[in-house]
Amino acid sequence: MKNQIRQIFHSPKFTVGFIIFAALLVLTVFYPLIVTNDPLEMVGQGNFFKPGTYISVSEAVNTNPYTLNLNASSSRLEQNLSMEERMAMADWLNQFAGISSKEMDVTDAGGLVSLWKDHYDSASEQKGLIAARKKYFSRLDKKITGLLEDTDVLLAEKNQETGEVSVKKTIPSTSYVNVKDVGSRRVFILGTDNFGRDVLTELVAAIKTSLKIGFIAGLIATTIGLSLGLIAGYLGGIIDDFILFITNLFTVIPSFILLILISYSIGKNARGVMMVAIIIGLTSWTWTTRSVRSQVISLRNRDHVNLSKLSGHSLFRIILTDILPYIASYVVMALILQISSGILAEAQLSMIGLGPATTTVSTLGLMMNWAMSYSAHLNGDWWAYFPVIISIALISFSLNLMNTGLDQIFNPQLRE
Amino acid sequence: MRKRLNKWTALVTVGAMTMTLLSGCQKAASTDGTGQTSKAEETTQTTAQTTTAEEKKDTADAGSTPRNETLYFNGQQWGTINDWNPLSSNSNNAMAITQQDNARTIVYETLFMYNMLDGKLYGLLGKDYSWNDGQTELTITINPDAKWSDQTPVTAQDVAYTFDCHKKYATAQGSDYSNYIDTVEAKDDHTVIFKAKLDDKGLPVNPLKVVEYVPKIYVMQKAYLQKVEQRNGNDADKIKQDRMDDFVASGPYKSYYNDDQKVVFVRDDNYWGKALWGKLPAPKYITHVIYENNAAGDTAFKSGEVDVSQQFITNVQKLWEEDGLPISTYIDEAPYGVCATMPTAFFNVEKPGLDRKEVRKAIAMAVDYDQIIASAMSNQSPSFKDVPRSIMNPTSGEQALVNQDALKDYQFTGNDVEGAKALLDKAGIVDKDGDGIREIDGKNLTFKAECPDGWTDWNASLEIVAAAGSKIGIGIETYFPDANTFYDDMTTRKFDICMWNPPAASVANPWGRAMAFMSTDYAGLKVNWTGNYGGYINEDANNLLKKIPLETNKDTLKEYYTELSRIYLDEVPSFSLMYRPMLFHAVNESVWTGFPQLDDGDNIPPTDCTDGYGIAALYNLVNVK
Repeated sequence: MKNQIRQIFHSPKFTVGFIIFAALLVLTVFYPLIVTNDPLEMVGQGNFFKPGTYISVSEAVNTNPYTLNLNASSSRLEQNLSMEERMAMADWLNQFAGISSKEMDVTDAGGLVSLWKDHYDSASEQKGLIAARKKYFSRLDKKITGLLEDTDVLLAEKNQETGEVSVKKTIPSTSYVNVKDVGSRRVFILGTDNFGRDVLTELVAAIKTSLKIGFIAGLIATTIGLSLGLIAGYLGGIIDDFILFITNLFTVIPSFILLILISYSIGKNARGVMMVAIIIGLTSWTWTTRSVRSQVISLRNRDHVNLSKLSGHSLFRIILTDILPYIASYVVMALILQISSGILAEAQLSMIGLGPATTTVSTLGLMMNWAMSYSAHLNGDWWAYFPVIISIALISFSLNLMNTGLDQIFNPQLRE
Repeated sequence: MRKRLNKWTALVTVGAMTMTLLSGCQKAASTDGTGQTSKAEETTQTTAQTTTAEEKKDTADAGSTPRNETLYFNGQQWGTINDWNPLSSNSNNAMAITQQDNARTIVYETLFMYNMLDGKLYGLLGKDYSWNDGQTELTITINPDAKWSDQTPVTAQDVAYTFDCHKKYATAQGSDYSNYIDTVEAKDDHTVIFKAKLDDKGLPVNPLKVVEYVPKIYVMQKAYLQKVEQRNGNDADKIKQDRMDDFVASGPYKSYYNDDQKVVFVRDDNYWGKALWGKLPAPKYITHVIYENNAAGDTAFKSGEVDVSQQFITNVQKLWEEDGLPISTYIDEAPYGVCATMPTAFFNVEKPGLDRKEVRKAIAMAVDYDQIIASAMSNQSPSFKDVPRSIMNPTSGEQALVNQDALKDYQFTGNDVEGAKALLDKAGIVDKDGDGIREIDGKNLTFKAECPDGWTDWNASLEIVAAAGSKIGIGIETYFPDANTFYDDMTTRKFDICMWNPPAASVANPWGRAMAFMSTDYAGLKVNWTGNYGGYINEDANNLLKKIPLETNKDTLKEYYTELSRIYLDEVPSFSLMYRPMLFHAVNESVWTGFPQLDDGDNIPPTDCTDGYGIAALYNLVNVK
């Protein structure tokens, strides 16, 4: 046994797969210990907030400021006006204020802005300009006005009784806060999704759910497949025919369609994680049965089996001690594949809206489903779907890698 | 050696695939490399490119039209069109036949056009309208210039005969309006009189419904209707199912081409409306490509293949703020459009549990509306804090008809979980068996909230309703069947909670909306497409609803509407989840410009350049140079 395990871990494929898988497993165990937020809590009011650190504005305003002499308004202009915006301004001035491009220097933001301030008027007709462009310039003008403001920002306070507003604090443009001083903050490493939920937290919970579904589905499928295969293969005869008939029947019906039909008919409320796992398990046992059966058939006439029979051992004991150990490695590999396909099946199901309910649990497929419906893939909100795809890929990749690694060790034909 | 080669090949392949993937994810590089190309020039380039592409396609693709003469739409037509018959109740020809409060008048025309911005009717086939003193007769004069596409004049007889046919063959419209309109008579060629149905006391049953007919129902040609009747042997079912491929209409466009890929309309250059509008509509062709789904439509809209989009676009502002596309909406800032309706969750008040007003109100109080508006609607709706609840939509005209101060005690702005729990506890509706779900008479309170599958923002809204349910100990399960199953559930009251739009902006609203929320008449319908789907019955409300159509004094009306709103907010037979535009209206100015904008002084509503008075926009469009 020890030797075998050592052998397994000598296989680089198995080791890599195992490390990836173990890392994911560790992540799902330890991440919730560190980040205890509810993964389904709708924190962000809005869809698809960008990844980053969010700090409380009102606290930042009340934090003791540091004065940094960085922000003279001209350098602010240089920093905040992109080349594209300057080009657009030059264009506008050229077209509607009749200033030749020679008189303008787009590398000199200050000069350009003063020309702009002299000539731009959002109310002017701007003939030939489409509305979207007119709106662009009026937004740009607003931005420039904001950038040019050198006066301090005033913080006012409202008197509860009189309703009068008085100045509480002034904030000069040279004030900075250290992010560490602000107590209330939240880090969204992977941003938020369409419901405003923290994607990373949700993703970890989803991986956990998916693994759970995979394990349960895999175990169920393997158990059913293994027992039917053993019985059919060892007993043979009419029982074999019967089991084979059932198996063939289920092989012919595409299991995914069966999956859809069953999921649809039991309704969303009943479709918890456990139920989805059981449905997947119940629809994916057929090929295990077939391959176990054929392996058992080749085993059942071996000498040691016949010897056991002659010794009067019970059927149960023969199967358990004389047959099962010879196909154990195969069964483990089948289990791994079943887990992997179970996870994929859940993702597919949830993707078409037949998975567990959105409000009760997060799964990889559901995350994909909502990201798709809110066209995250069209709007460039990659954090809502790309990490999910990567996770699904990593899980099935690691499982398949482990499977191949095991295959190389246990399958004599592949041994080097 | 060979093994190593294999490994290398694998590595290179994977690398290449990753690179392709990443380059695909990149944003389109900006084209102004020289730095001086103006946006206008850029767009002309793209126009030129698309035009040439279009021309190339011309030989292969039937129904192709030059890009710069065609206005493209999305979000209206989702399948091959099945007929051109305004009498039919299952026509799917959305671009040609949409008889609603703001009727779509590019092919068929109505007597008047409704403008939701000022609530007025503007003449189309009709010129003037006037009531007699008792509101029993509505006299309409027909525009003498109006002509059919076969150049015969539109007469009062056509108007009268259209109504007769609707009534005679019991079309959906006919069975509705014949309750309120007794006859439509042609006084002479250009004058038509709508006679209201009178009750026992000799008062009109409902003058509002008479006026509502006018901007809603298309006028059809008498001669053509008689032809259709003749070829179908006067059989009502056959007439309603006639495809009417040879239709005669009066509108500015006629059929040009259609298949399962698209519908194309071509301008009728002899259109009579030149006399009314002073010119012809700008686009020679109107094309609606039939897209597979929203995502396909969005992609086409972003790339400039669609000019006017009637689709919900998540974070629409990103298209111009971040992607710099020449796309705009009617208003530059949230909520980006004119919200005229309010998608509403209707409770089936016959369901045990939902027959208790405490349960209904508790659910409505606990829902986080700000979250719905911010995430499900991506802020394309004002919040219930800005526009407090009532039976009114957020337009200023309707808000003026309700006294918000009187409703203060009944208001709820959502996310009030503690308040909802307290309300339930006080009513003795508690969780006795400890499973987290409250019971009434030992039965768990669990309900299904449904709306059609794939209506993304509605699906997400109901998920948020479900989340609220779990916070207050009421099990709410979301259920998104296909649209037809949903319609069946909704119209025959086989639901617990269902989501639907009450009437939006119309000449008969807010009365029509109040009816849709609380009318006892609707509650009794066997197949109910009109409103009050949950079967709520309240005699006080119903009496008020009956008084309103006959009332002309504004102050009394305000009193009535305030009282109705009070009952509505107190009893919660349904609750609105958000405000929403009647139509989404986003435009891409790659090819066409001159679309209606807030404050442009034109008073044209953002109704996709096709509906109600919004069609006026078609006359203002110009090509981007």
